[in-house]
Amino acid sequence: MNARNFHSQASLQHLTRRHFLSDCASGLGALWLASSSGHVWGAGSPLKRDPAHPFQPTNGHFVGRAKRVIYIHLAGSPSQLDLFDYKPDLARLDGQDCPTSLLAGKQFAFIQGVPKMLGPQYSFKQYGQSGHWFSDRLPNLATVADDLTFIKSMVTDQFNHGPAQLVMHTGSQNPGNPSAGAWATYGLGSENQNLPGFIVLVSGGKNPDAGKSVWGSGFLPSVYQGVQCRSKGDPVLFLSNPEGITSNERRLTLDALAELNQQTVQEAGDPETLTRIAQYEMAFRMQANATDAFDLKQETQTTHELYRSTPGGESFANNCLLARRLAERGVRYIQLFDYGWDSHGASKSEALNEGFKGKCESVDRPLAALITDLKQRGLLEDTLVVWGGEFGRTPMQENRSGAKMAFIGRDHNPGAFTVWMAGGGVKPGISYGATDDLGYQAVEDKVSPHDFHATLLHLLGFDHMRLTYPVAGLNQRLTNVTKGGTHVIKSLLA
Amino acid sequence: MKAHPNEHSATPAPIKGIPVWLSGAAFMLFVGTLHGHASPEPIEFNRDIRPILSKHCTACHGGVKAAGGISFIYRDKALAKGKSGEVAIVPGNPGESELIKRISSTDEDEVMPKPEHGARLSESEIIKLKTWITQGANWSEHWAFVPPKQHPLPQVKDASWGKVPLDAWILAKIESENLAPSPNAPPQEWLRRVSLDLVGIPPTLEEWESFSAEYQNNPRSAKEHVVDRLLSSLRFGERWASMWLDLARYADTFGYEKDPHRDIWPWRDWVIRALNADMPFDQFTIKQLAGDLLPSPTGDDLLATAFHRNTQNNTEGGTDDEEFRVAAALDRVNTTWTAWQATTFGCTQCHSHPYDPFPHKDYYRFLSFFNNTEDNDLNDDFPRVAFPDQPSTRDTAVRLWKERATLRNKINDSGLTLEKRLSQSWTRWTPTEASASGGALAVSDSGKIDASGTLPVGVKYTLSMPAREGITALRLEISPDSQDPKKWPERGSVLSELKLTLVQPDGKKEAVPLREVIADYLAGPFDPQETLNSDKGGFGGYPVLTGPRWCVIVLDAPIKTIEGAKLELLMSQGAVYNGGQGTPIRHFVWSTSTDAQWLEWVQSETHKTELAQLKGLDSELQKLGGVKVPILAERSSGGLRANRMFIRGNRLTPGDDVEPGIPEVSRPPQKQDGLSRLDMAQWLVSEQNTLTARVLANRLWAECFGRGLVETLEDFGTSGASPSHPELLDHLALRLRNEHHWSIKSFLREVALSATYGQSHKTSKQLLESDPRNALFARGPRIRLTAEMVRDQSLAISGLLSSKMFGAPVYPPQPEGVWNSTYSNAKWTTSEGEDRYRRGVYTYVKRTSGYPGYLTFDAPTRDACSARRIPTNTPLQALVTLNDPAFVEMAEHLAKRMLSAGGKIEEQIRFGCRLFTLTTPSKSMVDTLLKLHAKALAENPNDAVKPLLLVANTLLNMDSALSR
Repeated sequence: MNARNFHSQASLQHLTRRHFLSDCASGLGALWLASSSGHVWGAGSPLKRDPAHPFQPTNGHFVGRAKRVIYIHLAGSPSQLDLFDYKPDLARLDGQDCPTSLLAGKQFAFIQGVPKMLGPQYSFKQYGQSGHWFSDRLPNLATVADDLTFIKSMVTDQFNHGPAQLVMHTGSQNPGNPSAGAWATYGLGSENQNLPGFIVLVSGGKNPDAGKSVWGSGFLPSVYQGVQCRSKGDPVLFLSNPEGITSNERRLTLDALAELNQQTVQEAGDPETLTRIAQYEMAFRMQANATDAFDLKQETQTTHELYRSTPGGESFANNCLLARRLAERGVRYIQLFDYGWDSHGASKSEALNEGFKGKCESVDRPLAALITDLKQRGLLEDTLVVWGGEFGRTPMQENRSGAKMAFIGRDHNPGAFTVWMAGGGVKPGISYGATDDLGYQAVEDKVSPHDFHATLLHLLGFDHMRLTYPVAGLNQRLTNVTKGGTHVIKSLLA
Repeated sequence: MKAHPNEHSATPAPIKGIPVWLSGAAFMLFVGTLHGHASPEPIEFNRDIRPILSKHCTACHGGVKAAGGISFIYRDKALAKGKSGEVAIVPGNPGESELIKRISSTDEDEVMPKPEHGARLSESEIIKLKTWITQGANWSEHWAFVPPKQHPLPQVKDASWGKVPLDAWILAKIESENLAPSPNAPPQEWLRRVSLDLVGIPPTLEEWESFSAEYQNNPRSAKEHVVDRLLSSLRFGERWASMWLDLARYADTFGYEKDPHRDIWPWRDWVIRALNADMPFDQFTIKQLAGDLLPSPTGDDLLATAFHRNTQNNTEGGTDDEEFRVAAALDRVNTTWTAWQATTFGCTQCHSHPYDPFPHKDYYRFLSFFNNTEDNDLNDDFPRVAFPDQPSTRDTAVRLWKERATLRNKINDSGLTLEKRLSQSWTRWTPTEASASGGALAVSDSGKIDASGTLPVGVKYTLSMPAREGITALRLEISPDSQDPKKWPERGSVLSELKLTLVQPDGKKEAVPLREVIADYLAGPFDPQETLNSDKGGFGGYPVLTGPRWCVIVLDAPIKTIEGAKLELLMSQGAVYNGGQGTPIRHFVWSTSTDAQWLEWVQSETHKTELAQLKGLDSELQKLGGVKVPILAERSSGGLRANRMFIRGNRLTPGDDVEPGIPEVSRPPQKQDGLSRLDMAQWLVSEQNTLTARVLANRLWAECFGRGLVETLEDFGTSGASPSHPELLDHLALRLRNEHHWSIKSFLREVALSATYGQSHKTSKQLLESDPRNALFARGPRIRLTAEMVRDQSLAISGLLSSKMFGAPVYPPQPEGVWNSTYSNAKWTTSEGEDRYRRGVYTYVKRTSGYPGYLTFDAPTRDACSARRIPTNTPLQALVTLNDPAFVEMAEHLAKRMLSAGGKIEEQIRFGCRLFTLTTPSKSMVDTLLKLHAKALAENPNDAVKPLLLVANTLLNMDSALSR
């Protein structure tokens, strides 16, 4: 089944009023931007959107290979040195004092003085034609090795979670800028008007460190902020009719409301009223569509076994399965956050030799399943899957407060981390960039979050320099106007 | 007032050989001949030329980039020679002007803008530029930097329409478009509008009855009575506070990752009280920006300064407090300029302003006003002052707090005076042994001690030396890692605890009591005295070391010693900041003194009395209690931070030192040197400031009309929107400042009673086509309710609204699990009793997880200053007002209210409708709802409330209910 089937399958259609669409002709509402000149996209002129139809699908600057994005963020930042970036030299140095040359001029969150080096904690093997390295923590993901594209040389300039997460999603470490998902939905609209265009799913029991700013709309109109949906309770806040009010009764009230609002149109002649009528109808369709989209019970036992998902709970596995269901329905940007990857070793749950194992197990099957499932449904071609954290982890063992700690962990490392992608126009099976022999600093083909964003936007059909919005006298963009030298990583493109 | 340099350049430069007075005439002839037109209208730079330059040229030839050495931001630069040696603009001579040559060129390599940068200028634009150059290339500052001036009332055809002066400008413009204003709004429409605009809640039926009765006889006085009633209502401040809280980025949490709770709501209450009291805006400004610097601040003056403590504070483990102290200071600059000046001054953090005449350096001169406050991103939000509930007690508390600070400084100062006198009494103390519990210590011959290696939190140094008879005081000098002041500040260095022990030759140890610490200056959260009694605070640079520090530690009594005895010094360094980062001392020397005057000083009666007074003040303050609120306080003069530029805006690449100052184009005060934050605040509301009154008048206008005369409330610069009614904006600004004396209420009264505001909002087809966005104000405003109003109206109409004012934020119902914050056990515990039904302004604001219903209705997150909420219209809004349990509860109460109105169902419904329509509802409205009720009743035959609940739910969701 593909996305298009779902569009036509408007369940509860018999209850949907049909006249509102024709009454709500576009062009009545005000354009968002004060300036006015011709075309939708132009040299230096921003995209104009009608607040009455903020998610109307539009084309990018060119036809992008990816129609939608599933961005999986493991908040806290998983250790690349214990999953993908295999460093035999580091194993040899395990337990020795860190050479002072590696410490000069570096800022750490917790490491103090001279820490010990920490070798890879798990054994590594190469998989598939691609020969990608995986540690034994991700045996299932390793089976789809050839579908994955690695960037081993990601770097950032932030070494604390909040700011680093903001950089990865908004291009700036300060709150108040739009996230990539907001840019994507502002730029492209959404293929499904009955679901939010930008949906966020969270697992691991906590929101990401930087809070809701990582899916915020910043200075873009607020409709482009990510809508946090839940796999437990109402998938969208306030989606369900209140207790005791049936769908039929809701339909009755909406009919009455539409009549009253039509009377208001006659009286006041305000086009906003027409828009409101349309939005209430859309809310009604969303009730049916979102409920349907989030109903995991519709999936077969085989699928649940593939993902390790269980309807009714809140888990990373459920969110992966939901991501596929939302991708099928044409949601533009699906953002997954999984909390609990900050492996400092300060407690059992965040130790590389303890809690980390469980976290890996909780994502290994679902990740492999998501790739396999998207592929078998023909969705992987135009769905870009991204996986990563906000920075890397140090090849040194953390020694919080300058002392040896009860558990094994690594501190934050902005100098190198790994991100992988799949589908959506990236070249499968390749690995781009490299870190030094200790996995401490990216040394070859460094990729900044801004390069990464430029590439992501390119895959969606945008020149990152031209997807802009005027703010405070400046045409702002996802790739941060204050950063120079940003470029699309051409080698990654299929 | 100081002459403004650019005013001179506004007169045309003489053209070679031609007297100035002739050049204009000569030109007209020229253009006339060239284009066969009659004499053209004189070119006006701001109207005709600046928009062309901004649109086509300044992206490359502006304040950031001056490609080819050409910039069109400043006249002198525009008239100078470019790198090519050609002159872009030769006044009076378009033929010689490179600008004209390049824009007219058909050669792809020569034409400007370059084809890849943008389209060619249109013929009419080129003609305008030519004409302008021929007329002498007159230059004038962008309108916003020119003082507002009083314009004569414009002539209008319909002299009877206007009620107040502002109406004349609105009508003149409407007439110039060959349109007519809309008829008067029906009284119920006007009453609903003015009630929601002024107090944020709709009128009651009683208010309607009394207004409509009077309106029949005397509409004018009826309206006046309503406006006066609303302006004196306590609800006024609650409604208008929201506007200010957005600008002030008010929230009940710190922001950033951990986003913990912050008690700053007493400041929010101050805003509500100030607005209700109609505090003039100049006072409102000065108190918030510099209340702490007023000669004798009241409790409320100091509380007002919490305005700029609404900046975010980062408590995430491992973060650098200096980085976020600077971030907060930058935010204060940007917020001040956005809120008061609607200027994108923030651009100049990294470079000169691309479009407006602000050099890069001006940013750092202005930053200096905020660079020396005591706060430095500490996890306890230091400095805070306890504000008791009662205003009178608040005054006492602040007076005592100030007295305490003065006295504490006085005591230290008297120690410093003594130190100066005894500066020759010191003998360098070189330890014979030195060891550390972590890392390593190296002692040089000169006695300097350097620590290296891993220095864990709480690291202890033990030093020993032969005992010396008669020691009365010790002196510690701490040095930074770097000798280069530009590398400061650096990691903190704090001596948290000091212990001195006398070790007898037989190994017997005896503690030597220490009496008092004198510090080079007092700053930061710790009293140096703490060094003597705990391992937490102490003396030194915390959380960062801003330069060398020293202190004197006076003993209780002179050391008495015998041959072979040793002294042992135990230095403990337990002070920590964000997530357990330590602040160990890295470089230091010790000296000793045997002068008896140290002891005389600590034992003197004056000193003892002062210490006793200090204790007394502490206990008085303790007794007063109250909520501790972060405030602005200036650092003591001994501990001032250097004011420096940041090259390309990066604090890690400091540039030249700067003095506090105000940009030249913004007409700074005459006083040039030693400008303080108070001077800056006074300048903002002074007569020479060209923007504050315009910005405020425009903002108040926009709150009432849904759009400003300058639509970009946040940007009056060249990149912002131009004013739709420039003369009216000047008029309103001058009227607000000079005639209403900054009274917001008087200003709003005039707006509310204007003919413009009194028009019907009914949109005719003609107006919809000719003016879809109501930029002419030829019809009354029709705007969606704000997030807070959506809630408040529903509470009011359902009869649930609590009138309780002030206090800690409340927790109305919110779905489970919305607050899943990191590192925080903060829980949303739904308020009980009337706190469940408080006005929206009192709802808890958590930055990283805003109240869902508000965010959906376009309320900002309050991360940063927000000057404008753009109203959207989305399905998620419908879900909130239809299904949010909070709104369902209100609908249920409204249903019960309708039910208790008694009578037949039709009467009950009619009553429900009237709560919104005020007048008798239309038949079609009642019929629609009766039909709904009948169908709902058919489904629920035994339920008296539910069918009405559905009716109520529908009423609360009507477009006419969600609009004002």
